[in-house]
Amino acid sequence: MFCRNQTARATVARGSALEMEIRRGRFRKSVFLDTSQDSDIQKKIDHEIRMRDGACKLLAACSQKDQTLEAAKSLQTCSTRIMAYMSELQRMKEAQVMQKVTRRSSDAGPMEDRLPCKGKVAISDLRIPLMWKDTEYFKNKGELHRCAVFCLLQLGGEIFDTDMVIVDRTLTDICFDNTIVFNEASPGFELRVELYSCCSEDDYSAGSTPRKLASKLSSSLGRSAGKKLRAAMEPGPCSPVSNGGAGPLLLPVPSVPGPKYHLLAHTSLSLLHVQDSFRTHDLTISGNEECSYWLPLYGSMCCRLAAQPHCMTQQMMNGCLKVKQLGGDPQSWKKVYAVVKGTSLFCYHQQEDVEANVEPAFTIAVNKETRIRASEKDPHSKVQNICISNQYGGEEVTHSLTTDSREDTHRWMEAFWQHFYDMSQWKQCCDDVMKIELPSPRKPAPVTPKQGSLYHEMVIESSNDLSTTVSDILARRMQELELRSHLGTSPTWMSVFEENSPKSTVRPRPCTSRLSGHSPCIPHRPPRSPLSPHRCPQLSLLSSDASLTSDSDSHCSTSPCFHRHGWPEPSSNFPLGSSSPCRLRPRTLSLDAKLSTLRGRVYGGGGTLQCPCQPPPSSLLTPFPISSCSPRSQRSTQTTLSCSSSTSSNSSSNSEGSHSLESSEGAPFSRPSPARRSLRNLKARLDPRNWLQSQV
Amino acid sequence: MSKYIPGQPLTAVVERIEIQKLRQGDNLILGFSIGGGIDQDPGQNPFTNDKTDKGIYVTRITEKGPADVAGLREGDKIMQVNGWDMTMVTHDKARKTLTKKNQDVVRLLVTRRSLEEAVKQSMGKKQ
Repeated sequence: MFCRNQTARATVARGSALEMEIRRGRFRKSVFLDTSQDSDIQKKIDHEIRMRDGACKLLAACSQKDQTLEAAKSLQTCSTRIMAYMSELQRMKEAQVMQKVTRRSSDAGPMEDRLPCKGKVAISDLRIPLMWKDTEYFKNKGELHRCAVFCLLQLGGEIFDTDMVIVDRTLTDICFDNTIVFNEASPGFELRVELYSCCSEDDYSAGSTPRKLASKLSSSLGRSAGKKLRAAMEPGPCSPVSNGGAGPLLLPVPSVPGPKYHLLAHTSLSLLHVQDSFRTHDLTISGNEECSYWLPLYGSMCCRLAAQPHCMTQQMMNGCLKVKQLGGDPQSWKKVYAVVKGTSLFCYHQQEDVEANVEPAFTIAVNKETRIRASEKDPHSKVQNICISNQYGGEEVTHSLTTDSREDTHRWMEAFWQHFYDMSQWKQCCDDVMKIELPSPRKPAPVTPKQGSLYHEMVIESSNDLSTTVSDILARRMQELELRSHLGTSPTWMSVFEENSPKSTVRPRPCTSRLSGHSPCIPHRPPRSPLSPHRCPQLSLLSSDASLTSDSDSHCSTSPCFHRHGWPEPSSNFPLGSSSPCRLRPRTLSLDAKLSTLRGRVYGGGGTLQCPCQPPPSSLLTPFPISSCSPRSQRSTQTTLSCSSSTSSNSSSNSEGSHSLESSEGAPFSRPSPARRSLRNLKARLDPRNWLQSQV
Repeated sequence: MSKYIPGQPLTAVVERIEIQKLRQGDNLILGFSIGGGIDQDPGQNPFTNDKTDKGIYVTRITEKGPADVAGLREGDKIMQVNGWDMTMVTHDKARKTLTKKNQDVVRLLVTRRSLEEAVKQSMGKKQ
């Protein structure tokens, strides 16, 4: 609104050329205005403009597809933020003008309207189901049409984006794991969720092909490919202006080569949708099948929208009071320090208790059912009492509060009225405090330490206590990881160590289903870096489902380690499975157990090569005691083979690892029976993670 | 050992080793163990610096066995067995080639670092 007789402050007419210039960032608004609020926003705008320039430069410079997509995403986010800040600035301007106008026209006093308290709104676990045509879903050939998608969430002036997810026809849902928390939301908030997508074809870099070439190509590439190419190049005739429809696009979106995101779907959430559990909401889809960025959305979105109004989490009012239960002894006034928070009035003996987290002396409920009124003047004192009535069970209980002065009483009443007002505005959010998980600090890309698995660092000597070794290494590792990446949460494998149950089958990654039965457990990564053989035993993880019977109940997880021949001899050797009985137990994965059982095992168990068979849970459930000479089906012998450390005298040769040194010395030239040999070889052959050794 | 570049001829300094198999009952024994192969994980090979080398290596020699007597050493890379190439075979193929029942003798071409160095030195001396 432009008022001609406004001379105190320079206001800028909407749509004017000056405004355009300002929005283009050529002039600072601060040149024209001098309020501190505005300068806040101005700073934000400047920041975003800088970010946007950075994103443009990055986009121009980077070559990898992922990077370009990420950069385009940041560009989109920055542009949207700038738009939002601009419009907020505009609104503030208008509000100021309006105020001035009203003040001039009518000397109205300060506004009487009560404002509800603000709150935190969090949205998490966004999931958007896709609806691929069944032909599409089961198609095995043909190019995989991929799209990069992300969500922009806007509430008030805050805009956040989720991580980018690449979607192709193998996915049934688009899931965003981020939790986004908006801090200052009013109960009438509108949370706008927008899904942007950009097609990411592998066969050509659509972004960088100049238009002329694109049109040339489209004629030569064949209709569909060329059409796609051209569609990817243009902003997309089927996409509406991607600024949330907030008005004409005054801000020129910088035209940079590179992938462009288009709005695929959007929806608006408000207080009605807030609930402490997951709910499904409808999406409005824009675009159609012809667009390059199209994805067959099911039409709805699931998420958890939670809100924590400040009246539930913060102290709305506190002070000293005297409380008495009505109907009691008139002299039994209790002096308390009272705090209004959430749905209760907490009364503590003294103020220090609040910080000390001591339990309050008693609590009076202050919720939707409570009635509060000021009673008649108490003949003994000059001030009014405040009566709080609640229904406890069938009974009505009333407490009386009194303060030292009339002003205090007034303040308390005011606080209670405000509190009730807040609760009426925030409705269902005030029944109970909804849990909002703070998003963990942004994790960098999964840290894969290049030096191989944890177990390569292990120095196991026979006299050492394994559990302390393991915990030492883990502690070191954790420190390293923390230093390196400021991880708030521990890496996946740590979770395994938190489990304490002996029968815990927790594994960050399932490692069963290999046909070969050699299921290397999680921490094993093929060691690519130069293995330092001078280190004491490199224990690569040849798992042995077979020897997973754990006797002790330590809580580490790994599978037993095979000592690799040729490397410095450890003092402890790990012959496996010669004489342990078969047990039908769920997989217990504990390093300690493993190694202690191994150490305890006696070598050279004589004739039968028995194998404690722990078949993969998904397949066989019955254990097989495997006698030395009977050829068996693949599966069962695989478990044998893994623990065939050939400790028995007649089978000194070994396919996996030469832990049978001692026994092989005794019978240097013997060979295992052909049947077992072939089966062993089969299994060993099937597992590419080994470095087999065969005796010839 | 020279690095293998796919498609390029490989040169190496080799030693000829002839091993007479030893008969033990029904079996013919050579007295060493091999490791490696194109289907194996070369990163775990302790005998080579080139961790992409998928060749067949001798990992253990039985003392006083036929291989030991013939001059095979631990860490040798087997290039050929009786004329059959061993630089680009699976582990099992290598084993089978060595343990053919109808052959009493295997003639290996092996290479080791010391050989290369010896040749280099002698060439150096020449110049």
